[in-house]
Amino acid sequence: MMNLSPIVASLLVVILPFLAFLIQAMLGRRSQQGTISLLAILLSCLISATMVFPKIWNQDTQHQALTWFSIGTKDFQIGFLLNNLTSLMQLIVCLVALPVHIYSRAYMKGDPGIHRYWMYLSLFCFAMLLLTMADNLLLMYIAWELVGFASYLLIGFWFHKESAVQANKKAFIINRIGDLGFLLGIASLYSIYGTLNLVDLFGEHGFLNTVPPDSSGWMTFAGCCFFLGAMAKSAQFPLHVWLPDAMEGPTSVSSLIHAATMVAAGVFLLSTVFPLFNTTVLLIIAIIGCITAFIAAYFALAQQDIKRILAFSTISQLGFMMVAIGIGAWDAAMFHLVTHAFFKCLLFLAAGAIIHEMAHLKAKHQLDFDPQDIHNMGGLRKYMPKTFILMAIASLALAGFPLTSGFLSKDAILINALEWGMQQGGLWLLIPIALIIVSFMTAFYIGRLMFKVFFGKLRINVENPGIHEAPGQMLGPMVFLGICSLFVVFSLNPLSYQQAFVLKGFEFDRDYTELHILHTVVPLLMSIGSILIWIWAYRWYAQGEAGGSFDKLRMTESKLRMTFPLLQLSLNQGYLNEFYQKAFVNSTVQFSNGLYWFDRHIIDGLVNLAGSLVRAISRISAWTDRYIVDGLVNTIAGSTYYLGHLLRWVQNGRLQNYLGFAFTVLLIGIIYLIFK
Amino acid sequence: MGLLSLLIFLPLLAVLAILVLPNRSNGSFKYISLAATLIQFGLSGYLYANFQPSESAFNAVSAYQYVEQMPWIRMQLGSLGTLEIDYFLGVDGFSLPLLVLSAFVMLMAIGASWRIEKSKKGYFALLMLLNTAVMGIFCALDFFLFYVFYEVMLLPLYFLIGIWGGARREYAAIKFFIYTLFGSVFMLLVIVGLYFSVQNPNTGAHTFNMLYMMDPTNYVPGSFFEALGNSQEILGIPARMVGFIVLFVAFAIKIPIVPLHTWLPDAHVEAPTPVSIILAGILLKIGGYGVIRICLGIFPDAAVDANWWLGLIGIISILYGAFNALAQTDLKRLIAYSSVSHMGFVLLGIASLTAEGISGAVFQMLSHGFLSAALFFLVGVLYDRVHDRYIYNFRGLASLMPKYTAYVAIAFFASLGLPGFSAFIGEAFVIIGTFNAESLSTGIPRWMAIFGSLGILLSAAYFLWTLQRMFFGETRLKGGETWANSLTDLSVREQIILFPTLALALLLGVMPSLVFGVLNQSVLSLLNLVNPYL
Repeated sequence: MMNLSPIVASLLVVILPFLAFLIQAMLGRRSQQGTISLLAILLSCLISATMVFPKIWNQDTQHQALTWFSIGTKDFQIGFLLNNLTSLMQLIVCLVALPVHIYSRAYMKGDPGIHRYWMYLSLFCFAMLLLTMADNLLLMYIAWELVGFASYLLIGFWFHKESAVQANKKAFIINRIGDLGFLLGIASLYSIYGTLNLVDLFGEHGFLNTVPPDSSGWMTFAGCCFFLGAMAKSAQFPLHVWLPDAMEGPTSVSSLIHAATMVAAGVFLLSTVFPLFNTTVLLIIAIIGCITAFIAAYFALAQQDIKRILAFSTISQLGFMMVAIGIGAWDAAMFHLVTHAFFKCLLFLAAGAIIHEMAHLKAKHQLDFDPQDIHNMGGLRKYMPKTFILMAIASLALAGFPLTSGFLSKDAILINALEWGMQQGGLWLLIPIALIIVSFMTAFYIGRLMFKVFFGKLRINVENPGIHEAPGQMLGPMVFLGICSLFVVFSLNPLSYQQAFVLKGFEFDRDYTELHILHTVVPLLMSIGSILIWIWAYRWYAQGEAGGSFDKLRMTESKLRMTFPLLQLSLNQGYLNEFYQKAFVNSTVQFSNGLYWFDRHIIDGLVNLAGSLVRAISRISAWTDRYIVDGLVNTIAGSTYYLGHLLRWVQNGRLQNYLGFAFTVLLIGIIYLIFK
Repeated sequence: MGLLSLLIFLPLLAVLAILVLPNRSNGSFKYISLAATLIQFGLSGYLYANFQPSESAFNAVSAYQYVEQMPWIRMQLGSLGTLEIDYFLGVDGFSLPLLVLSAFVMLMAIGASWRIEKSKKGYFALLMLLNTAVMGIFCALDFFLFYVFYEVMLLPLYFLIGIWGGARREYAAIKFFIYTLFGSVFMLLVIVGLYFSVQNPNTGAHTFNMLYMMDPTNYVPGSFFEALGNSQEILGIPARMVGFIVLFVAFAIKIPIVPLHTWLPDAHVEAPTPVSIILAGILLKIGGYGVIRICLGIFPDAAVDANWWLGLIGIISILYGAFNALAQTDLKRLIAYSSVSHMGFVLLGIASLTAEGISGAVFQMLSHGFLSAALFFLVGVLYDRVHDRYIYNFRGLASLMPKYTAYVAIAFFASLGLPGFSAFIGEAFVIIGTFNAESLSTGIPRWMAIFGSLGILLSAAYFLWTLQRMFFGETRLKGGETWANSLTDLSVREQIILFPTLALALLLGVMPSLVFGVLNQSVLSLLNLVNPYL
């Protein structure tokens, strides 16, 4: 195999999906198999795994850039920065994208717009990989927005569906709010430090804050701006509302973009610019992260759509990562990002397989039901045992059960948070406590999902439902992700996160002391708690009343919601969407209508008034001109004419008249002489 | 004759040819116009490729290239000395990109006029006359010459809107004409004032030479606009500030700024598609160009004092235009208001008086030139087919016209500042420059950058909302089957026009150095001129 330098290899990793995008765009409908996209991501994956990651991880940092353009005296560069953080992120994106590509070949087969699907997917991979490796914030911002754009295209993939286009508009606009934050953050850094290059800002090896903050107020502002960017992309409260709606896209897209990679970009960004954050910003991040983790887990409790449950679970886990960043343990955040990418991707792919089968069932028997509603499922364990096992592994990882990858990363966050909370003392202890509660809620909602979907019996009453295991092309990628959800991939010791290679790659000194007792108590407590919750949920959902028919289940749940309004609130996502619609969307539209009225009637009215005024004045002056000025002229002319007319009468050519006049004049002369 | 003269007067030759040819051969008029514009475009591209940025001062002739200077009018005025008007042309990094843009947009406009039926002779003759005037404006370095071109530009536009326009064309044409004239008449007063204040240092005669006007030492001591230690006042306002304001208002009407913008929606909506393209693509840029070259160049001291207000007006235009665009139900009017919003960034960038801001502003002008021209062309495509532009009368066009939808989506995303397209570079650097202004203490506070960035958010809102309402969802048209039949996808001619436009917007977005390479030295020279007053 050729031996390329990691920088060149990374360039290939980024460029290949872009080429696939271009070729697919040109071929259009002629290429429906997605072979080009698949080939591109496969090569990217191989190059990343063999030529980039092994040469960078725990070895030397590499950086190469060239000048893109100059403004004034400043040069703006374009380049790649390869260090532990970026090479890890690059590898993860490739490793998750590849199985999703393979899965999509079977999952999206026969869709009339499939050529667009491959095009968009390759565009997304290009943007996401560029994002991971950008050496300066401007380039990162560009990739950041392109990622959002690809997500817009994919959410609205079925553009004739009204809900899908509503959802992609919402996603893009909310992400735009975050983009503004990112842009203003860039502007702040540029005006404080005069550069956007990560190497100049943080040093060769990353994360060395060499630049002393001179204007602390604006540093806080910049930190908040970057966090705003991350909040939108990583769906943090109160900007999380786009992510559940984004589930309108194809499920394979949800798994790659809205679970594993793009939504994690916010966490990645914050890890990259971590040294910028001062204590104020970090506390804000921790608080928002904690609220998000809690509220999303709460909303997940009563959802009925399988994808929405997983979406809220994603939001909640992203909240965990944010808390980790907020307490300063960004290494734990990155670790959780990595493990979460695999098991959440797997959860979505498994959900996709289930939805696929339910949709087939619906089409085959010409029934009318929602194929994504977990109330319609049940007992699928018998029909799809492999999917069940894989999904169970992913669920255990999500709940942080021992032997899974999620156990390691979640423990890392929880223990770090507790240590931090003990150090801070007082009310700050609420944050780790809330996280522990959220962990139990996580165990409950994922247990509810599993028991409703796989246990009991199928609630759609048909003879011979014909549900079967997904084809190998879908199952294969899921098996791969399932293996990646186990502890061995990350650490040889299944019980201690400190052995995990990801964390070892990011070692740095913490501000708080390590408490050894927590490393035993927390995992034990979490595991026992989860088991108890699952036993209870199993009794409730799989065995009890609710395990029965669809109607019974629905009745029990609605009765439950009647008695507990909190569950009703959870199902409706706290009425946040309705509130936003009224408070922001409608009022903006009304405001703009009002402004347009103002524009038409006041501003343009003034212009037209000026016009009419001038016309009125000119009419008056025309009247004056006609009747007064010209009237005077005409009067003079008229009187002259009249006078002339009078005198003309004298000149009539009659000799006797002339003699008469002459005689009269003579007579007057004589009289004058006499009386003189 | 120099290259710039050729560039300017080539279309005038076309006018002559069109006028001389009999009406029988009216089919050839468009080919004559196309040939003239093509040569122009090639020529401007040649000039652009051979431009060598120079580090000379903004008011030095050596900062300009392809200079042509010859006496035009010399008249002995007795005790007032000699009247000195030069035929003085030259281009620098500010004007050259705009020349190329103008030639390109003209080309688009000719392409969009391909199926004009109503009195072709007059139409193409006027279009070419307009072409001459526009080129002249960007090349002129003598204020008198500039003014002549500036006024000549109005005449063809008035007729183009008034004769070939839509239902309310007479109203729109008169409104446009009078609005612009209102600004330029007062500009004439300032020109005369400047003439009597400035002396040619070589001959001692009063002069209209703009470069002399930019040098404070050329002002006659005690004259009305004297640059050093001026004590002249009008109504308590320093004379130079008055001069600045008057010139600014004249150009601000062109940009346009809120509240002097109401001619724009009417003119754009009533004008035929090619004229809308020219209006948005070129005419608005004359405003921005005038503010940079003339307001900042001749009155840098006043500009420094007034830039806070300029920035504020920029912000108001950005937000006001964006909100109004959100309220529109007529697609063309929506794009007209989005122009107001996007041109607000130009003013904000200029007001920041930073290298990033001014470069961003010029870049935004170019980008808006390409993109708004493309947008108006796209509206024209729809209007040609069904003679309707009401947003709610269309739905789900994507299934009916997939290519058209793809172009619209690209143009929309490019306009709302998607990275990779030119508008992103323009807007981002306006925001960065405005934010940076406080560090350089040019008088623009940082909150202006924050408010300005809201415009970027709103542009996403109105463009995406339009996409959702008109193009996505199930197909439903007001005109039913008849519309569905007439709504054919883009023709080859339409794609030939659209593709290069959007490709250029993409090219500039990916390789901004194409512009910044030419522009950068001029921005630095301009800032050197302004900085002493900060």
